[in-house]
Amino acid sequence: MSMTVLTVDDSRTMREMLRLALTDVGYRVLQAEDGVHGLEVLAGETPDVIVTDINMPRMDGFGFIEEVRGDPQYRGVPILVLTTESDAEKKNRARMAGATGWIVKPFNPVKLVDAIRRVAA
Amino acid sequence: MDPLAAIRETFFQECEEQLAELESGLLAMEGGDTDSETINAVFRAVHSIKGGAGAFSLEPLVRFAHVFETALDEMRSGRLAPSADVLKTLLRAADVLADQVRAAHDGAPEDEARSAALAEELKALGPEGASAEVAGTEEAWGDFAFQPLTAVEAAPDAAGGAWRVRFKPRADLYAKANEAALLLRELRRLGDAVVELDASALPPLADLDPEAAYLAWTVTLPGELDETAIREVFEFVDGDCELEIGRDGDTAAADDADDAAPAFDISALLAKVQAAPETLVVEPAPAPRPAPLAKAATTPVDAAQPNPAAANDAQAAAQRKPDTAGATIRVDLERVDRLIDLVGELVINQAMLSQRVMEAGFARASGVAMGLDELEQLTREIQDSVMAIRAQPVKSVFQRMPRLVREVAAMTGKPVRLVTEGEGTEVDKTVIERLADPLTHMIRNAIDHGLESPETRAAAGKPAEGVVRLTAAHRSGRIVIEVGDDGGGINRERVKSIAVERGLIAADAPLSDEEIDNLIFMPGFSTASEVSDISGRGVGMDVVRRSIQALGGRITITSRPGKGSTFTMSLPLTLAVLDGMVVSVQGQTLVAPITAIVETLLPKASDVHSLGGHARVIAIRDSYVPLIDVGMALGYRAEPLAATQGVALLIEGEGGARAALLVDAIQGQRQVVIKSLEANYRQVPGVAAATILGDGRVALILDIDTIVAVSRGADSLRAEKRLAATG
Amino acid sequence: MTQTNPTAAGGLRELISFRIGAQEFCVDIMAVREIRGWTAATALPQSPSFVRGVINLRGAVLPIVDLAARLGFEGGETTDRSVIIVAQIGDQVVGLLVDAVSDILTVTDDVIQPTPEVASDTAKTFVRGLLAIDGRMISLIGLERVLPDLELVAA
Repeated sequence: MSMTVLTVDDSRTMREMLRLALTDVGYRVLQAEDGVHGLEVLAGETPDVIVTDINMPRMDGFGFIEEVRGDPQYRGVPILVLTTESDAEKKNRARMAGATGWIVKPFNPVKLVDAIRRVAA
Repeated sequence: MDPLAAIRETFFQECEEQLAELESGLLAMEGGDTDSETINAVFRAVHSIKGGAGAFSLEPLVRFAHVFETALDEMRSGRLAPSADVLKTLLRAADVLADQVRAAHDGAPEDEARSAALAEELKALGPEGASAEVAGTEEAWGDFAFQPLTAVEAAPDAAGGAWRVRFKPRADLYAKANEAALLLRELRRLGDAVVELDASALPPLADLDPEAAYLAWTVTLPGELDETAIREVFEFVDGDCELEIGRDGDTAAADDADDAAPAFDISALLAKVQAAPETLVVEPAPAPRPAPLAKAATTPVDAAQPNPAAANDAQAAAQRKPDTAGATIRVDLERVDRLIDLVGELVINQAMLSQRVMEAGFARASGVAMGLDELEQLTREIQDSVMAIRAQPVKSVFQRMPRLVREVAAMTGKPVRLVTEGEGTEVDKTVIERLADPLTHMIRNAIDHGLESPETRAAAGKPAEGVVRLTAAHRSGRIVIEVGDDGGGINRERVKSIAVERGLIAADAPLSDEEIDNLIFMPGFSTASEVSDISGRGVGMDVVRRSIQALGGRITITSRPGKGSTFTMSLPLTLAVLDGMVVSVQGQTLVAPITAIVETLLPKASDVHSLGGHARVIAIRDSYVPLIDVGMALGYRAEPLAATQGVALLIEGEGGARAALLVDAIQGQRQVVIKSLEANYRQVPGVAAATILGDGRVALILDIDTIVAVSRGADSLRAEKRLAATG
Repeated sequence: MTQTNPTAAGGLRELISFRIGAQEFCVDIMAVREIRGWTAATALPQSPSFVRGVINLRGAVLPIVDLAARLGFEGGETTDRSVIIVAQIGDQVVGLLVDAVSDILTVTDDVIQPTPEVASDTAKTFVRGLLAIDGRMISLIGLERVLPDLELVAA
């Protein structure tokens, strides 16, 4: 049984790169383009882990994480945020909101998988 | 295609979209938009470009984008006010960013001096001493092959002793969906690990708080391992747990053993559990997931900084702006084109069916006839809906214009403001793609020739800043696009004298003001020496007019001296369908585009006069207009048709020039599906395309302008082109 | 003479033969899309006499070339027996008007003899080879030049 990852990012390029990196190691990928869309996809299927960007239209990463953490259904679903190196403030805020961990952009596919393995079975 | 190369293309496509968002957002702000969502969108656009650029190691782009992003971040957090000057700088930065993106895509060198200069300006906008440098992108994708996670190479550590890791999660760790078990698993992957569970803090089941954390672990790992590798495993949970990493034999390690757990004592545990009826099974593996996290989750949020305000703002903004795009779906363009072809054939078939049924004599009110009427209705609706799929707002073409205006304004030294209206007006994709060049020429022309210099304007009491208006609207089934300026208008004397000089008109030809204005469309009106570099290197308005006509459109110009000029283009909504007047000529059925036809009339003998050798003219109210025998022009007949036996179609062609086409009879008006003649054959002079009528036969669509042009110079189309048969 | 295209399955070619007047011709069956009966064509102005006009083939506009005229024979009147061979020539689909379609021939490459040198423009331009089948001479036609070349002459 392979792992299912939900990727939430408004950049098509980023979604494609994530998909490439994850399917390469045999993961199954669900995609969403912002927080609102992410919640819709979640409603259809609970992934094993969520990878989300922060800056997105309609509902940003923080809002999304808060919504997910606020819903008993998804408690326990690990959430990794994509964040830029220099942004400690964002990282902390994400943690406050309930993010499980983070991945630095531009992301290294090996480290991406590492991070996922640390939080998801 | 290499998947990474495909994503790189996607990246550049996305960059174009982001650049468009960036520009329109900045323009909106220039126009007074203060919505926080607008500035956020602008920020995200640059942020997005920077992110992707980093992944592909496009260094100069990343650096510039970073500086740009920093300035925008200042603006979105309210520390930088969006004044007119600031916005102008940002717009120029957007232009530089766009150039860098394209240079990166093409592999061409970028204008470093320009980028550096603008970067300095952007830094000046930013916070003092802010780190405007971005860490180098060492981690580029090209460097990493996709390999499964391998165990970290252990650097032999001389200092020897085994690692002892003491790990006690706090409730928060679980609240963020971290799992101790997974961390322990990752530790095990680093090397041989011995894991000891300390369950001493675990209360009896009855007192167990599912949200609290009670368990702790001590893990022993080989000394050769690098400490950073171990710390990395706990990267995410740092702060949500007690973590001590030390070596065996270190005094520090010994001191850390506050809660030093004795080896897991199952009998002691069982003793505790005896009291409770249920057995509590504790394993080193999956820690019990605490149940309701809601409480744990909300507290951090409330404690957080001024987020609620921002979050509310974002929510409100999301509600204020209804999602205009709605759900969308990406479709292969080929499929859409195929669908449109099929629907076109459906329309033809339905028309044929109707015709056959009528010929078979079914009564108009019979079930069959009525059913067919409904079918026709339905078919039209399907056709309209399908055409709408390919319809796009002209915005995609309009949005290139602001930058063009900025550049031409800079080159001519004339301050110009571009006002656009009707960007949402929709036209078929096929038309939109061919609009860009003509629009570009017209706007350049408006600024270069239309607008006066700031001094002249001031002297005339006009504001120094000239205005160019670009509008689009639907009007009677067509799309009308106007490019107007508030400049000096057309200098009619000059235009007339140039035209006389070039031999385009007779010196004493009586021309109305409108006709003089439209002389600029005549081929040969502007030569290379006339046309400045800005208006396009020798390309005159006649080229523009021909492009518009090739689209089935018309273009005219109106002008008021001292006030300005306006180009008006009228285009069909789609290139696939035409409103036609079906006529008979010498037994042949032909179709004339209705847009060209001004009126139809039955010539009276007294109205028709001979002029010169074979030419005829017909009197239309106060003027004489050439009468063209279509049958002769196309070679269908050798002797001219008597005017009184036919019908004259008064047409308006090139910039107002009029002619009357003499045909045998008018059969009616139809919307016809355009079929290409060139696809399987060749271009035929006098014929624009073909269509299939209700009876299944092919009818030719007239190329009005060629017929008229030729009639001015020759007796028939034979003189223009000759098809030579070989062999 | 010019070499004919190499065949697919081990040197076998399928040709469709047809009659124009008293002569027989054939073309590679790969070029043939379908066979239809004659329908009246819409005349094209200013076209060479061998272009009869255009017809509607399921929504596409197809030119009809009177092959007899194109090959230089006296153009005959079309009779009910006249047949249109719909052929693909490059990117274009063209209808060839012939008198009747005779056969489908399956031959090996060696059956095709080179065209003798004769003083005939037609032969030079169109005939790619000759076949002798059952005592009949059948000319193999290449279609590339069937449509008129365009020569633009300044007015």
